[in-house]
Order: sequence, then C-alpha cells, then structure tokens
Amino acid sequence: MNLALTEMRRSKLRFGLLAGAVSLLVFLVLLLTTLSNALVNSITGALKGVDANVLVYSANARDNLQASRLDPAVVGQVAEVPGVTAAGPVSVLTTSAALKDGTEDLQVFGFEPGQPGAPTALSEGRLPENASEVAMDGGGYAIGDTLELTAADKQATVVGLLRGAQFNASPTAYLTEDLYGQIVKATNPNVPFVPVNAVAVSVDGDSEAVVSAITAEVPGTKAYDKDDAVSLIPGVASISQTFGILVGLTFIIGIVVIGFFFLILTVQKMKTFTLLRAVGAGTGRLSAVVALQIAVVVLLASAIAVLLTLLAVRGLNSGIPVELSPVLVIGTVAAVLAFSLLAGLLSIRRISKIDPFTAAGAR
Amino acid sequence: MNENLEFVPPHPGDPGVDPASDATSHKDAILRVEDVSKIYSSGDTEVHAVSKATMAVDQGEFVALLGPSGSGKTTLISMIGGLLSPTTGTINLAGTDVAGLNKRDLTKFRAERVGFVFQAANLVPFLTARENLLYVSTLQKRISRKEAHARADQLLEELGLAPRAKNVPEQLSGGERQRVAIGRALMNDPDLILVDEPTAALDTKLGRQVVELLAREIKQRGKTGIMVTHDLRMVQYTDRVFEILDGELTHVEQPSALAH
Ligand SMILES: Nc1ncnc2c1ncn2[C@@H]1O[C@H](COP(=O)(O)OP(=O)(O)OP(=O)(O)O)[C@@H](O)[C@H]1O
Ligand SMILES: [Mg+2]
Repeated sequence: MNLALTEMRRSKLRFGLLAGAVSLLVFLVLLLTTLSNALVNSITGALKGVDANVLVYSANARDNLQASRLDPAVVGQVAEVPGVTAAGPVSVLTTSAALKDGTEDLQVFGFEPGQPGAPTALSEGRLPENASEVAMDGGGYAIGDTLELTAADKQATVVGLLRGAQFNASPTAYLTEDLYGQIVKATNPNVPFVPVNAVAVSVDGDSEAVVSAITAEVPGTKAYDKDDAVSLIPGVASISQTFGILVGLTFIIGIVVIGFFFLILTVQKMKTFTLLRAVGAGTGRLSAVVALQIAVVVLLASAIAVLLTLLAVRGLNSGIPVELSPVLVIGTVAAVLAFSLLAGLLSIRRISKIDPFTAAGAR
Repeated sequence: MNENLEFVPPHPGDPGVDPASDATSHKDAILRVEDVSKIYSSGDTEVHAVSKATMAVDQGEFVALLGPSGSGKTTLISMIGGLLSPTTGTINLAGTDVAGLNKRDLTKFRAERVGFVFQAANLVPFLTARENLLYVSTLQKRISRKEAHARADQLLEELGLAPRAKNVPEQLSGGERQRVAIGRALMNDPDLILVDEPTAALDTKLGRQVVELLAREIKQRGKTGIMVTHDLRMVQYTDRVFEILDGELTHVEQPSALAH
C-alpha cells in the first residue's frame, strides 16, 4: 500500500502530462549539450587529440595555432629545455582536395611519426608512416582509398581512420611532416623553409613549470598547457558560453516547473494531507510521498528524453559527428533529480506547517 | 448495559448528574479528563471554547457528547484525541498523559491509540475503500501486514462494504463513506474511538443505520467510544450522554432520560 505510487496510478493523465513536459525540457538540455559538445569538439578535436602535454606557439600568434609560425629549428631548442622528455612538430594548413564526399576543403595536419604531435583518436587502421600514407577523419573515406590532393597534385593511401579529430569542423587529413612539406612546396614554390605551427611537447611531471621554462628560455615562443591551448581556440569560449546559457535556462525552467507543479499538487491535496496527519501520519512520511513522486516523474521523463535525444541525434544530419555521451545523460539526470527534490522542499515546507487539528473542523 | 453507572439522585430541576462528581465515582475509567480548558486567542479576542471540563469514561462504554453548534464538542474530543493541546488541565487515556506528549509521540498516539471519524473529509480520495483502511495500518507496527489485510476485509464485511471495497470515495454514497471512515477508525485496534457528528451529512434513516452500526462495532469489539452529536435521536444507541453547553459540561444522564 504505497500512497505515492497508488495516487500516480490513479491519476495517470496528470502525472503523465507532467512527465511529458519535464521530458521535453530534459530532452532540450541533452540535445543542446550534445550539440554544443559536438560543435566544440569539431573545432577542438584535433588539438585535443594531439599527443602532447604542452604546446608551443610563436609569441606573436595571439594564442592561435593557425596564426603561429615557428622555424623548425625551434623543435630542437624546445627539446633541450629541462623537464621536456620529447618534442615534435605540428603543422596545419588548409588545402583543396577531391574528397570522396564531393567537397573540396581539406584540413591537413602534419606530424613526425613517433614524436609528440601525433593524433591519438585513431578508430581504425594505423597512423601514416611515410609520405605516401594518410589517416583521415571525415570526407567519406575507408581504409585503402586514395586521397587526391589536387592543389599539390599528390596522392596518398588512406591507412587509418580517426574519430572526433576534425579541425575547424572540416574533413582532416593526418600525414607526416615529410608529405606536409611536399604539399607546402608544391603550392608555394618560393618558401625558404617549411615552417611549423607549433611544437608538441611531452613532459615529465609538472607541466606548469615546463610551460614557463619554455616561454622563458626559447626566444619568440609562448608555451601553453594543452587544455589551455584548446580552450583558447577562437570561437570555443563563445560557443560554450552561448550554449551554456541556453542549457542553464532550460534546466532552471525544468526545475521550476517541477517545483511549482508539485507545490500545486500539494496545495490541492492539503485536505487529504491534513486528514492523514490527523490520523497519525508524520510529516516525514508525507514528505516521502512527494519525494518519491518527484523521483518517479523525473526518472520517467528522463527515460523519454534520452529516447528522444537518441532519435534526434540519429536523425540529425549536421555534417559534424554528434554522439550522446552516457556521462552526459547520467550527469544531467542526476542533476535534474537532485534539484527537483530540492524544489520539492517547497511542498514539504507546506506539509510541515499542517495543523492536524484542522481535519477536525467541519469544513 | 449501564450497570457501572452508580445512581446519584438528580438535583431538583436538573435532569442529570454533574460530570465532575460523576467522574469521581468512576474509579477505573479508561479515559479521565480533568479540569480541561481551551482558550482560542485570535488577535485580541479570546474564545473560551471549553471551560474546566471534567469527565470519565469506562472501558467498553459508548458515550455521547451532546450539545448545540459551537458548544465546544469538536474542541473537546480533539484534545482527548491528541489533535489539540489543552490550555490547562490533564487528559489521561489508559495511563498515557495525552497533554504531556511531544509532537512526535502525539502522531504515534493518534495512529495507534485513537480512531477518528471526523465531521467532514474523512477519506483519501484517490484510495479505494479497502486501501483507505489498509493505509492507516501502515502507520503502526503492532498489526502485521497480513493481519491488516484480514482485518480490513473483515471490517468491510461487517460494515456491509465488501462489494464496494474497490471503489474510491467519489463512487460511494455519503452513508457508505461514513461507514468506511468507521472502518478506518477501527482498523488499528485503538483504545478509544472518537466520532464527530457521523450523521451530519446523512438523512435520518441513513444516519440511524450508521450510528447503529457504529454502536454495534464498538460493543462487539469491547472498544470505548465517544460520539459527538447535536441530534437527540442518536443518543439512544449510547450508554451515557454528556451534555455540553457554551464550553461547559453540564451534566451526565441516561439516554432514556432524553428519549421522547
Ligand atoms: N481554531 C479556532 N480559532 C478560534 N475559535 C475557534 C476555533 N475553532 C473553534 N473555535 C470556536 O470555539 C467554539 C467551539 O467550537 P467547536 O468547533 O468545538 O464547536 P462544536 O460544538 O463542535 O460545533 P459544531 O456542532 O458546529 O461542530 C466556537 O465558538 C468556535 O467558533
Ligand atoms: Mg464540531
């Protein structure tokens, strides 16, 4: 004989509508967060996936990898700094290619095999080892395909596929510095040397100390902890902030809806709660009724929301890879549940104020 | 039925005994109310709802509390049932000093020791008749779940509600609802049943039926009961009648003395 569940069973419409409304709000939270993550990841994925603890840009790059130009000799200088275990070049450029999916814009990411700077998000195959191999994220490639680098008039065989490693939300090719240099020289025959954009550094121990040491000891450079470098990518902060506000607002609306709905239900049930207090039900017991109903509504709504989000993510054809993360789902549901129970305190406060004698009154 | 009532000669012009002196003659009373007063103060006005009430009720007795509207009947039985604390005075039910209990113990006291039938809203609207009975059994620990189910079914049977056990209150008639409330009051095997105007919403015939049933249940189970009423015709089902007027218990008498 459970009061909370029995009431819900008898008032399916009422609680069903609430669960429906809450599920839409949870769905919005999940979808917006998923999209925001996907969008941010499409911009940051490549840098995040670089095998390094610290990244070094040129001092005048204003925190922007693409604006950074370093003499390749800097790689060696950085490697000498105490605390640095290894250093490798990272080079990026945008070129045109005849991609399998019909598009032309290709991001190219150069690295030195076996050195820091190599990508880590390999999902299939292996990383390129020489100038005729490439690993791809996006563009519709499978292992064994040939990538046509039209601007440089070169070809490379796809030997590996990566996930979540796109740069600037475009198909991205990971290749050796060797091939990178060939592309640069083919498209800009007059360059005196092939610059690198950044030095990827692996560090033994405290990266903060190494960051300051590199900046201080290697002239013309500025070093960053990798996470800092990722969050400084142009656009990331504003995307996170914009979506953060939307998600936050939706979340708050959801909590307020739950809080007030249960408060209204509680006020409507005052007569019943008063009667139950009079016949010997304690405040704790009646509060548990509200808490249990909130938990059931939130969990039911969350289940619906997850289903909706999965459908939406599958149906979305946004061009950037979108995935619903279980951590996000669990975190969101737990947060909604926790705050909804807090909002339930509004109702519980009302219940605790009941004077059971009122039940004896004629009205 | 009223063998424990000692004969005290009536005062001239007074139809019954003074409840205070009656109380001293009930040495083994299960319920003892002594000098209980209740003053409601709202703003700067004070309402003396009950003044220095003294009464004693024996184990197994079913008594009436008779008085006009506003005379303090509900206030008095609410204090006896632990819903309201007296301004002054003591109430003792089977050895428990009711007025001395703290809030938590009062809740337990109401769940286990008292069965209420209130004047108005008595039932949980979204629970069936049977569930209304079963729910109160979850508020105590003396009766097991299994016993509670058997007890609920038996009570519903005795109250003629077996065919309505699965109906929610809005599907029941007024009389049926009051009968469910009576079942609810008896459910936890309380020491004392307090019934406030059980017939207020019923016509005379139904009212009689409900009170008859109530009296029968209380007697059969050897329970002690107090029924509040302002209807003279209902007192014939009780053992003794306490009369209350303007918050004062004026006298106790036999129901037969009030019959017309
Ligand atoms: N909460 C309260 N605050 C102030 N005065 C109250 C309160 N409850 C009752 N009273 C007053 O106390 C007096 C006794 O009320 P009570 O409800 O006990 O009477 P009653 O005999 O049960 O009447 P009725 O037959 O109409 O139910 C009345 O004058 C009433 O107005
Ligand atoms: Mg009353």
